[in-house]
Amino acid sequence: MPRRTALKKAETPEKERRPRQTKPKAKAEEPRIGVFVCQCGSNIASVIDVDALTRYARTLRNVAHAENMNYPCNHQGQDAIIAAIKDKKLNRVVVAGCSPRLYEPTFQSCVSQAELNPWLFEMANIREFASYCHQTTPGEATEKAKDTVRMAVAKARLLEPLKPIELPMTKRVMVIGGGIAGINAALDLADMGFKVYIVEKTETIGGYMALLDKTFPTLDCSICIEGPKMVDVGRHPNIEIISYADVLKVDGYAGNFKVKVRKNPRYVIAANCTGCGECRDACPIEYPNYADMYLGVRKAISIPFGQAVPLTHTINRDYCIECYKCVDACGARQAINFDQKPEEIDLNVGAIVVTIGYGMYNPKDLEWTGYGKFSNVFTALEFERLILAAGPTGGKVVRASDGQKPHSVAFIQCVGSRDVNRYEYCSSFCCMYTLKHAVMLKEKYRDAIEVHVFYNDMRSNFKGYEEFFNRAQKSGVRFLRVKLENRRITEDAQTKSLTVYGETEDCKPVSAEADMVVLANAAVPAETGPEVARILNIPLGKDGFFKECQPKIRPTDTEVPGIFLAGACQGLKDIPYSVAQGSAAAAQAASVLSKDSWTVEPLVAKVNEELCSGCRICESACSYRAINVEKVDEKPVAKVVEGLCRGCGICSSACPMDAITMPNYSDNQIVTQIQAVMEKRVKKRE
Amino acid sequence: MPLKALKEETAESLTLEWVLHVKNYKLTLDKSKCVGCQICTLACPKEAVRLERHPKIQGEKAQKARVDIDLAKCNFCGICDVSCPYGAINVTVDGKHLLSVLDKQSFPQLVRDIKVDAHKFPLDREKSEDVCPLKLIKVSFLTADGKKVEDLSSLSEPERRRLSVNVEIEKDHCPCCGVCEVKLPDGAIHVRKFLSGKLSINAEKCPDGCTACMDVCPITGALYVSDSDKKVHVNEMFCVYCGACKLACPVDDALELKRTRINHTPVRSGAWNKALERLTSSTEMSKELKTRGSLKARESVKKRVGLKGEKCA
Repeated sequence: MPRRTALKKAETPEKERRPRQTKPKAKAEEPRIGVFVCQCGSNIASVIDVDALTRYARTLRNVAHAENMNYPCNHQGQDAIIAAIKDKKLNRVVVAGCSPRLYEPTFQSCVSQAELNPWLFEMANIREFASYCHQTTPGEATEKAKDTVRMAVAKARLLEPLKPIELPMTKRVMVIGGGIAGINAALDLADMGFKVYIVEKTETIGGYMALLDKTFPTLDCSICIEGPKMVDVGRHPNIEIISYADVLKVDGYAGNFKVKVRKNPRYVIAANCTGCGECRDACPIEYPNYADMYLGVRKAISIPFGQAVPLTHTINRDYCIECYKCVDACGARQAINFDQKPEEIDLNVGAIVVTIGYGMYNPKDLEWTGYGKFSNVFTALEFERLILAAGPTGGKVVRASDGQKPHSVAFIQCVGSRDVNRYEYCSSFCCMYTLKHAVMLKEKYRDAIEVHVFYNDMRSNFKGYEEFFNRAQKSGVRFLRVKLENRRITEDAQTKSLTVYGETEDCKPVSAEADMVVLANAAVPAETGPEVARILNIPLGKDGFFKECQPKIRPTDTEVPGIFLAGACQGLKDIPYSVAQGSAAAAQAASVLSKDSWTVEPLVAKVNEELCSGCRICESACSYRAINVEKVDEKPVAKVVEGLCRGCGICSSACPMDAITMPNYSDNQIVTQIQAVMEKRVKKRE
Repeated sequence: MPLKALKEETAESLTLEWVLHVKNYKLTLDKSKCVGCQICTLACPKEAVRLERHPKIQGEKAQKARVDIDLAKCNFCGICDVSCPYGAINVTVDGKHLLSVLDKQSFPQLVRDIKVDAHKFPLDREKSEDVCPLKLIKVSFLTADGKKVEDLSSLSEPERRRLSVNVEIEKDHCPCCGVCEVKLPDGAIHVRKFLSGKLSINAEKCPDGCTACMDVCPITGALYVSDSDKKVHVNEMFCVYCGACKLACPVDDALELKRTRINHTPVRSGAWNKALERLTSSTEMSKELKTRGSLKARESVKKRVGLKGEKCA
């Protein structure tokens, strides 16, 4: 993406460029090639004899100018290249330096500043291919660099000017997932004036944050700070929430994605439902509520929690007995429709922001925890619902076995995470929420409760977090540093109280009695991750989270232009960083949407329709779904979707009819390069 | 602790349970009371109840069908509890037998219309108690000063005459077969069936010597072997139309069961309409709807006329 952006910026305005490109003379002109050898400080010059290389370059056919310089990539260097192009009337440029992956866009824009078509530029990589890998044999490295330059010059002779492809831009955006990251991305984009669709899988937006009691390290009420944002999303004229829905299919490319969404039936007509809850009161059926982590129940027609947005009720037909008492209760509003069917909606958007969040690991298979077996062992999210005033117990922390308030609580860190057999990574926010829970208990019950934290490393490495750790220590929470191995929990069969055992780093046993144990279970990739990855054709990393394009400098980009990542689906992160990343992804998406058209590099496959036999081999070879066989005048012919083609050339080499060519990577150009590199060896043998 | 959804089966009972932190839902099926009829299967709105028929083994008594409840489908609504003629299922919420479906008028209760006149009961415990095929009648004798008399034979005739009889019937488990009404002295007990219908046996299809239906029928005398053709016949006076026999019958269509009417408390509920349709038939269900509709119409007319009358006055 930035590569393309840089290109676009560098180009001279359309009007000026057009006459130059249509110049038919450019082709007929005798090539005048300029070779610029980079010293790259000492990266190249310390191994390769750049002077010899420059002299050698001058001997090559059609080379009108060659020079070496310290850094062609900096301002000075680029000015020198522009000057040389103008002075020596160069019409092809070769830079012998580093990888084109790093600097090709820079030099292309430099060349276009000298009013030369940016595709009349070629790069010879003498750093990664010669100086870096042959440091001990400088003589041979120089020879290899010469070969590389000769190849580049041979190709440069055959380069053709190309014109970037302009595609139309749809000024709408889809955000998948309505957690706190998605909410922020949506609000930012909507405020910038773009139409936003939030597609949310569950009945309400809000994500995990809406289920939390307090947030660390300030102990703000979670829903009190997220609720207003949720309401803003619900009321924003530019945002449409499509909740209780699944993304089925995404076709197209940046600027023009065609999305199919299935809206699952709520059996309640959203437009008529006022959220009054009279139906809920009439309903006789209750079922375990996911939003309460199954600690409490909700009615078969209900909303998951009071602040739900949209406030439309949903009937769970898995539990509903169809007595229609809700229909009677709803009365004249007539919001209930038991005949509702799944509805498929087609959306056309220019960009997509993926914020599908994460899931929680069920520690049932970690036997030492006793989770699921011992009734007073909870996960952190369950504890969150217990301590929450709007939770199923009304904020009373009570044991499951007898409903009594615990006198001692033990927290255990790293359950499932930082475990090579389960989740190798650190779940990143567990240390902090455990500190939050410990402080809340201690500050609420003071000396009436004893709090132990079994931890291995305390990770409190962001603004205000270490101070919060100090607050926890001062409040009387006792921290026991134990190894991750040899931890276990036992239960007293009669009192149902628990004992937690661990081992310190120097192998001394430690233990603590607890009426209740809370596990900091690992946060895991969202269950729907693989499905979303398949639909969007974006990769998942080894850990199961979406893979960003470049982990450091492009953390919100995916491999697919126009699709961006934010929040925990890219890697676990806490609320402030999810919010920040949501805004970052929104800005990235806006940089796409704000364009009038989407510019694609012209290095896309071209099909000679006369030669194409419609065999579909290219179709299956393409990993970007960018080439499809369509019927043209009854004849099946391969068509390239330019917005999707990444110019990899696989279709071209797979085509048995030689019907597909890649501009500036034609067979002729590649063969010439091969001939150029073989030339010297053939001569030697002779 | 996560939601515990438990299922446990023993020789005596089948228990399903949802243990939530704040609530507990429990369904218990008492296998000694269950006769393996179809009622719960048909009444269940979630199709969670399944019946497994036992294959008939030659020379052995037929066994009643086994009830199995799918924990994944059951929502502990208690409709099976309400509709079981034998009261074999008990659903509790937090240990209390308070069913929301009844409370919210989402399902009716069966009307067990049993009228007892204790004065007309014979002064004989065994005679009184044994008439019930399900042993649901408990009789006790009290002297004038309210003392319970255990041994009647120890009393003299005048003393016996002064005794009063106290009758207790486990109504919840009574399918209202009416055997007691016939066997006890006239007027001692009056029972109205809550299920009516028609059970007939196709003599041609009924295999010779097979008494599978009789083996499982909990009501003595509802089915009997006729001396004339040595085949099983129905005594509809006692049949409660539960359908246990139909499930035990090894031949298709040999037994024909049609339920036509169910005596229940008034209710307006889709769940009930569907259950009624499955328990009886579409025609019977629409009949009930029509009756209800015309009753409603009559009521509204009455109201309007009444209002007008008041205005005039």
